[in-house]
Amino acid sequence: MPSAYAFYLATVLVYGAVDAMACLALNFEFGFAGVSNFGFIIFQSIGAYAAAVLSMPAAATSNGGFQSYVLGWNLPWPLPWIGAALAGGLLALPFVFLVGKRLRGDFAAVGLLVSAVLLNVLVKNYVPLFNGDAGISIVPAPFQSIWNPQALGYQFAYGAAAIVLTVGVYFWLKRITESPYGRSLRAMRDNDIVADSLGKNLRLQRTVALVVGGMVAALSGAILVGFISLWAPGAWGYAETIVLFAAIILGGAGNHKGAILGALLVPLTFEEVTRFIPPLANPALVPALQWVAIGLLIILFLWFRPNGILPERRRILSAKASTENVPVPKDGDSDALIKLGNLDELNFRELLRLGEVANDQRVILSTQGLTKSFHGVTVVSDVSIAVHQGRVTGLIGPNGAGKSTTLAMLAGTLPSTSGQIFFEGRDISGLASNQRANLGLVRTFQLASEFKKLTVLENLVSAIPNQSGDSFWGAMRGRRFWGSEDKQNIERAMELLGGFGLEQYADAYAGGLSGGQRRLVEIMRALLAEPKVLLLDEPMAGVHPNLAHKIGDQLTRLAEGGMTILMVEHELSIMDAFCDPVIVLAEGKVLAQGTMAELRANSDVVEAYLVG
Amino acid sequence: MSAELSQKGLVLTTANLSAGYDGRAIVSEIAVEATPGKVVSIVGPNGSGKSTLLKSLVGVVRVLEGTVSVGDQDVTNLPPEEIAKIGVGYVPQIDDVFPPLSVKENLEIGGYLLNRKEIPDRIDTVLDVFPKLKNMLTRKAGKLSGGERKMLAMGRVLMLSPSVLVLDEPTANLAPMVATQLLEEYIRGFADHGSTVLLVEQRAKAALRISDWTYVLGGGRVVLSGAPKDLEQNPLFVESFLGGGARH
Amino acid sequence: MSSFGFGLITAAVLAIATVGFTMQFAVTNVLNLAYGSVMINSAFVSYYLNIHGVAPWFSLIGGVVTGSVVSWALNRFIFTPFQRRNLAPITVVIVALGVDLCGTFGLQAIVGGGYVSFRQSPGTEFHILGMYLSGLQLIILGICVVVLGLVHWLLKYTRLGKAMRATSANPNLARNSGVKVQSVISTTWLISGALCGLAGTVLAMNTGVFEATSAQLYIVLLLAAMFLGGPGEPYGAMFGALTIGLATEVSAAYISPQYKEVIAFVVLLGMLTFRPYGIFGSEKTL
Repeated sequence: MPSAYAFYLATVLVYGAVDAMACLALNFEFGFAGVSNFGFIIFQSIGAYAAAVLSMPAAATSNGGFQSYVLGWNLPWPLPWIGAALAGGLLALPFVFLVGKRLRGDFAAVGLLVSAVLLNVLVKNYVPLFNGDAGISIVPAPFQSIWNPQALGYQFAYGAAAIVLTVGVYFWLKRITESPYGRSLRAMRDNDIVADSLGKNLRLQRTVALVVGGMVAALSGAILVGFISLWAPGAWGYAETIVLFAAIILGGAGNHKGAILGALLVPLTFEEVTRFIPPLANPALVPALQWVAIGLLIILFLWFRPNGILPERRRILSAKASTENVPVPKDGDSDALIKLGNLDELNFRELLRLGEVANDQRVILSTQGLTKSFHGVTVVSDVSIAVHQGRVTGLIGPNGAGKSTTLAMLAGTLPSTSGQIFFEGRDISGLASNQRANLGLVRTFQLASEFKKLTVLENLVSAIPNQSGDSFWGAMRGRRFWGSEDKQNIERAMELLGGFGLEQYADAYAGGLSGGQRRLVEIMRALLAEPKVLLLDEPMAGVHPNLAHKIGDQLTRLAEGGMTILMVEHELSIMDAFCDPVIVLAEGKVLAQGTMAELRANSDVVEAYLVG
Repeated sequence: MSAELSQKGLVLTTANLSAGYDGRAIVSEIAVEATPGKVVSIVGPNGSGKSTLLKSLVGVVRVLEGTVSVGDQDVTNLPPEEIAKIGVGYVPQIDDVFPPLSVKENLEIGGYLLNRKEIPDRIDTVLDVFPKLKNMLTRKAGKLSGGERKMLAMGRVLMLSPSVLVLDEPTANLAPMVATQLLEEYIRGFADHGSTVLLVEQRAKAALRISDWTYVLGGGRVVLSGAPKDLEQNPLFVESFLGGGARH
Repeated sequence: MSSFGFGLITAAVLAIATVGFTMQFAVTNVLNLAYGSVMINSAFVSYYLNIHGVAPWFSLIGGVVTGSVVSWALNRFIFTPFQRRNLAPITVVIVALGVDLCGTFGLQAIVGGGYVSFRQSPGTEFHILGMYLSGLQLIILGICVVVLGLVHWLLKYTRLGKAMRATSANPNLARNSGVKVQSVISTTWLISGALCGLAGTVLAMNTGVFEATSAQLYIVLLLAAMFLGGPGEPYGAMFGALTIGLATEVSAAYISPQYKEVIAFVVLLGMLTFRPYGIFGSEKTL
């Protein structure tokens, strides 16, 4: 093989590996955790700079001191690369404020984009940092004192090392995403409010995503700068992030192999193809057309094939054969045909790990003067209720009475204006909703809240608390650590599914089920979260009465076993059959409390319902 | 109240109407009729589909089967702008005003379809109906109290001299006295002056007091209908509210 | 004081640009990150008219029309179809970035990478209240003030303007009032697009030399101004632009001019972190 081509091949190997690594990192952040890091390129860049300034000698004394930069510690390989990865992780930390709970995804993304632009401007202008616009050059290659970096053998070895590291990153990230923690990340991506209500700590998870992604991105930068010996602001404009997004969209977000494919197809191919185009009259033409092509790729793929060439894989968790193509019944009357399985035979105590609960009917959840006002309109006013353990308490009232608002304040998804909430004797008014869920106060939602891109089984298992694999370190310890526990969790979820007659849908995407089926999945999911108090927000809405009564029976059983249930409902026949006591809210205030029979005899209540 | 407030009403009817979201019917086989000079109310327990029914009449929710007619015109699934042009005025239950716009501007938008020259006179006419609003013309609608807001919401609709008034729970979140005034003075008044009034109400008894005809919805279907005094005597009536409304 | 003068010009042009951008956000709920590319394309159309003999202020009209038509087409053929698909807002923003790349670098492919400038003289220098402003700058300032006044008149006193504000506040209710919301949205893009084209052209005139990627970073100033005043609020945009425009120029007198835009960045990141609904807004408005 002629030498020029050989050198070229080595270059392609290195660039390919670096691009693949970067795409794997961005895909981890965006495709798996749902963090739109529009400023991604700065993480690759800090890695390159860090590797450079850690491996180079002090600025003033090297090469006549024509460059100025910080550090200059002259460290041997692999320390500069390790330092680079650390720098990438640390750089993520200040951005945690942007990706917290409340900011809109597109606003946060724009904040990250702007940060990338800002940092580029700062580095360009503040020369003492990284030598400004000229950038840092003559970056030493690893081992260059004993092996000539210009040698072909060295370059192939470098390429091989880069590939090995990329493969390592692939397995490392896969270890995280295929663990229970990965499931939690994907749940957060699909529906962050619901994930929060099931106990997931969104801020922490997003921080992990940015730190891990940042470390990998930085490593890719270190590898690149060791090969090309030079890094300048021109190399990391904010638009470079867009190229990587295009790569992931093309290759397939949420799929590691898709990220690698995208890296090979977009950044690598684009760069390499242009080498072979002869010089044109307009030298700016080719790079400009490259950008146009990237832009077109993004638009076309998002229109025609938004899931990419290699879409996210369905995770088959059940031990059964693939059940991907189970037909889902049409909505409506077919819900009447939902045959529950052997629900009555299930041992809830064991299955849902409810433990031995003394059913002493003590007050387990109460509020004191709970109030919510929006802009001068008081929606809930001075509500003080007490919910007793082991009972199914109903919460009813006319439209606009404040029932759902009260429930949301109890769960913590809505902050209260004033008043206190006590759970098991403890004031939880200041706790966030995921913290309340972790204490055992779990809620469901009125509207569709399944994790759409997770299977039914994944939806259920994701709710189970205290999973050893549901943390970063737990995931790192690998399947040997959390595998058997996960298997047991899956079996429990399958048994519960079987009880509700839905086991054939275990591996179907939750988003494809009928309305009634989704409702059941939500209830099962909430039950698996090991609630001490279960807050149900109109669980029977749109559900066929037969099915509703069957669900009601099971709720009664659960209550007898010690679980406390508070249920907001319209369907008064449900209240009749299953709830005692029933609390009536009207115009944001507590109007009365008692059994349905007592309430029907209460003229105030009748007035409220019929007159107002 | 000025006699020019509304045009002579039109008849609004539905036949075999089914409507809902995403192809799922929330109400089925609905046949209601509202005629000029009369108040027709639709009551029923929560979840019975009252609001959805109303929204399907004014183009906000899709009609899946059946027809809606105003006068002799088929208006099934017409876009809301067209329905407004025909003279149907709709007051939603929430989001019933434009909060960042002033009271006067809200009314002006209400009169969007009118000739520019007619607007100031119309505004005066509407303000005669709701004199309290006269002092708040420049106040932003978002800063009004509940009762004032609802009056503005109705005023906006009146700007068009609607031949049919469709109101979704107009007394929701209003204090009882304000609610009573709204129903008995204003809404009844519109009908007395010749409009067709169709309203959905939570406060069933109050609605009965001002209605000429009432439909009771349950589980997405009409389960009872009749003149208020007959309904009040019907034991099924109370039961359908507090005794588990869904009957299949 | 002279930097105050520069600040005024910067603020005036920024105000035009930001008002256009925030109007688009108000009615469509999308952050149109392709705005900068429309600005620069409008500037180039105006430039080409200019070097083919059209007087600068008439070629300005060419820029305005370009901005208007291209923006309208962008909404009609890109944003509306994508939004109909119920995708996450972030997806539409990524699409906008894609359009921005096509627009900016498509332009660069056609006109090349070199710097160009309008054939116009800056005019005599005026010395007013300690500020040094050229005749050109005074005219630009005048145009901007007049246009902002027109925008104010449009929003406050015309039927269309009120319909625009109503549509952005409550599109369903607007429909029920007889407003043809689809047309109002299209018209909003025509008008905001005209503002975009105007801003791009006068920015190019004021900057002197410009090339295809000159407007790329402008989006940061624009976003800072918009979020300061509150997203979707035209009057907030004017306030934000005045503040950012003056702050960046005046700060250049005290810190190194290379860093003058840093103030805009800091303001933007601060607002996004602590008060994304703007200084005058509240949680509910978002």
